[in-house]
Amino acid sequence: MEINITKGNVDIIAVSGSIDALTSSELVKTLNDHIHDGHPNVIVDFGKVEFMSSAGLRAILASVKEARAAGGDFRLASPQPGIDKVLKMAGFYNIVKIYPTVEEALASFG
Amino acid sequence: MTETHRQITLPAELESLPFFREHIKAACQGAAGLDDQAIYDVLLAVDEICTNIITHGYAGMDPGSIILNVEFAPQALVVTISDFGHAFEPVEPPAPNANASIEEREIGGLGLFFVFSSVDDIQYESSPVGNTTRLIKKRAA
Repeated sequence: MEINITKGNVDIIAVSGSIDALTSSELVKTLNDHIHDGHPNVIVDFGKVEFMSSAGLRAILASVKEARAAGGDFRLASPQPGIDKVLKMAGFYNIVKIYPTVEEALASFG
Repeated sequence: MTETHRQITLPAELESLPFFREHIKAACQGAAGLDDQAIYDVLLAVDEICTNIITHGYAGMDPGSIILNVEFAPQALVVTISDFGHAFEPVEPPAPNANASIEEREIGGLGLFFVFSSVDDIQYESSPVGNTTRLIKKRAA
């Protein structure tokens, strides 16, 4: 797993590779450090995530709560079909804002 | 198609997870009747089962191993996962409550829910010499 942060009006955190029980804690730490560093609004770009297990959902849930507690929001963009199925199976569309593209996620912050 | 077997044995540690997934992916490359989503389903089920074995099955024990065997039967892909830890029978949990608020969400049990949602059959056997979890994914005709 690799994480790249692009700063902007809303920072875009691009994740690539696999989010599993091995890598999910690194993702939570990076996201939460970023949120607490004065960036409570984040877009997490899933375009290059190839695989995610339930450990990844645990990471998403933890960071969404963290962002909202800090007065911002965590919005997920561009999940690929396999990942999208996992998000849907877990009912995450009801608790996390998920957009088909990064552009739409950016526009959602206004 | 003739039946083929591919087996890999790795330490029961989280660092082995990507290698187990790569093994499945390589074995399924170009296999008839398994599209990208079907392969993802199998990767997810195998990853969740192996994660449970590593974190629960071998908890408090000396480090052990996991043996992953991939076998193509004419109408199905059969993945057999063997371990020598504590018995840990996968039992189907209730589906997550999609209407629950973010504060009420529970992630425990989601992994097994994915396993049961992703493959067509799960067979489990435990004996004094070890445990076997068999995941069966039907291949499209």
